[in-house]
Amino acid sequence: MKSFIAFFSSVKLAIVLLIIITIASILGTLIPQHRSTAEYAARYGQLSTLLIRLEITKLYQAWWFISLLFLFSLNIVICTLTRLSPKLKRALAPSLETEKKKLLSLKIKANFSKNKDLETTAERIQKELELKRYKVKEDRHENNIFLLGRKRMLGLFGSDIVHFGLLIIILGGIVSGLGGFRTDLTFNEGQTIPVPQADFKLRLDKFETEFYPNGTVRDWKSTLSVLENGKKLFEKTIEVNHPLSYRGFVFYQSGYGYNWENPTLHLRIKKDTDPSYSMQVKMKVGDTVRLEDENMDITAMRFVPDFIIGENNRVATRSMNPNNPAVLIGGHREGETVFSAWAFAKYPDFGQMHSSQEHDLKFEFEDFEAAQYSGIQAARDPGANLIWVGCGFLMFGLCIAFFWPPREIKLVLETSDGKTHVAAGGIATKNREDFQAEFENMFQSLRRSK
Amino acid sequence: MTESALFLITFILYIMAAFFYFAYLFSKKETPAGIGYKFAIVGLFTHSVALVLRTIESGHAPFTNMYESLSFLAWSSIMAYIIIEGKFKIRKAGPYFMLIVIGLMALASSPLMPKEATPLIPALQSYWLWLHVSVTLIGEAFFAIGFITSILYLMADSREKKGGSRKSGLTSEKLDAVSYKCIAIGFPLFTLGGLVFGMVWAYNAWGRYWSWDPKETWSLITWFVFALYLHTRIVMGWKGRRSAFIAVLGFLAALFTYFGVNYLLSGLHSYA
Repeated sequence: MKSFIAFFSSVKLAIVLLIIITIASILGTLIPQHRSTAEYAARYGQLSTLLIRLEITKLYQAWWFISLLFLFSLNIVICTLTRLSPKLKRALAPSLETEKKKLLSLKIKANFSKNKDLETTAERIQKELELKRYKVKEDRHENNIFLLGRKRMLGLFGSDIVHFGLLIIILGGIVSGLGGFRTDLTFNEGQTIPVPQADFKLRLDKFETEFYPNGTVRDWKSTLSVLENGKKLFEKTIEVNHPLSYRGFVFYQSGYGYNWENPTLHLRIKKDTDPSYSMQVKMKVGDTVRLEDENMDITAMRFVPDFIIGENNRVATRSMNPNNPAVLIGGHREGETVFSAWAFAKYPDFGQMHSSQEHDLKFEFEDFEAAQYSGIQAARDPGANLIWVGCGFLMFGLCIAFFWPPREIKLVLETSDGKTHVAAGGIATKNREDFQAEFENMFQSLRRSK
Repeated sequence: MTESALFLITFILYIMAAFFYFAYLFSKKETPAGIGYKFAIVGLFTHSVALVLRTIESGHAPFTNMYESLSFLAWSSIMAYIIIEGKFKIRKAGPYFMLIVIGLMALASSPLMPKEATPLIPALQSYWLWLHVSVTLIGEAFFAIGFITSILYLMADSREKKGGSRKSGLTSEKLDAVSYKCIAIGFPLFTLGGLVFGMVWAYNAWGRYWSWDPKETWSLITWFVFALYLHTRIVMGWKGRRSAFIAVLGFLAALFTYFGVNYLLSGLHSYA
């Protein structure tokens, strides 16, 4: 047990672990994380098996990385605790220095005599210390007085508070990892979805995309209603950066997309032989329009948002985004197919028509209307609050560690031949230059004072 | 006066400041350094006005693309330098530091950096943009001064070791102490702006406070390097060369977090 504590209380271990964790983290940014086995094989060849076996492909979740973090945390705990008790003793039960020699071996020191009696000199010094906001302790004897002036002793614990904050942050990370839950929900307008692992539902009342004048997206806004037992409790409009929090869940606007189930298609029908002929129709997939003068039925047979010729020369969609919207139009005369044609919204001149009978129709796919769905991420992250508390301690600790340096001045006053001999020493681990200036300033004025 | 004209005037003022600092370095007279310092202060003023104009013009914080953020980093660096020189009298670092600032300004004005103010994408519409970016970059500006003083330390130290004269004014001990002071200011700022504010904003915008995105990871790496600096120095008593070496590494990590990640690694922070 003793050697265990000795091992983990070493700062050298902390530094070695810090270096290893840093190098591992760098490695994780150089090798793309969470990709497919095939991608790693293509990128790294034979090496990829090793990378996957060593979990370098999911490094930050790898058992060995987590173990390193665990060892590091243990190291922080033990380092902090073993250094805490002498500091606590120094802060809470300070000892007064009684030996002049020890004070005069310090770097920051003063040594002088005054033609005053012991009491008066002690009073004068005490006043000067208190003026500079030192709290003074004293130990009076007949022939000598020991004084101790201290300030900002909280600053001693800056690093401990930082470490405590870090441990809370790590704890928060563990809680998030174990108890966190997140899922993506897709809402159409009007749709109600029960929130997984919760006993309330959400309804999307309204979804809108706002644009800047130049056409880029300004914001997505989803108006959500929270429903419990079939009753609406309240509604809130969420947007990017402004999520909804309710009962431990947070709902984020995370994406959007088109609902391609039932789009309205705007088609224009033209004739090769008659340039003045132009007819606009709005239809959905499956709808049929009758062209009396041609004795023909026009049907919208199929729609794809991102047209591509896929495997086996079959039409497919590459994505769910309207990158290349296309509609398949069929013409029928008395039950027989006259033609079938793809019309492309983005490439009006590029039509592909298979005709089996004579006709002179042309189609332009002018526009489409599709409902947009709202992508909402539901997250329950029980570790988040620990993170904020930890960050609070971290910042508070850093501020006092750097900007609230503790200062101690110890004095031994002795009397002989009607004179009082003063020896003083200053102790500060940080900001020594400023302390030295303050110290010298104080003792110069004490020396000169009558 | 337009923002771009003010930016140009600022650039010229910084070049003048550098010119006088170098005149001081070579002439060994004190006056030019004082003039350089005044040019830097006037430059900081015109630069501030330029940033305010940019904010009014674009309607958002002036650090949403590379041009804006370089300009803001140059502004932070000048401000940090004016404070540090005022407090610690490190004039000898002035000429070299001015070169960094001029480098930043030159990069910002290079044709590679798109200058037009574009409307904010939804993810950036948050007051955390102000807090996260400004505090982080101001912290990095102090790291930059620590970098220069550490390099000067390494140079002064090897000169002194070779038995060269200890130049009056800026001794190696002082450079070592000033490097520490800069990191002591930069580290809390970087922690607050880069890591804490970054986590809060990520939680608000993306729904998770930490995603091991390359930029996040690199800011943590930077933080680790400076943590290493502080622990080796305070607990193990490292000073001088080894300390200066870690400070240089830390700044390079910060620089990579700022530039390298954007151009070499891909991730959530793809905008800036």
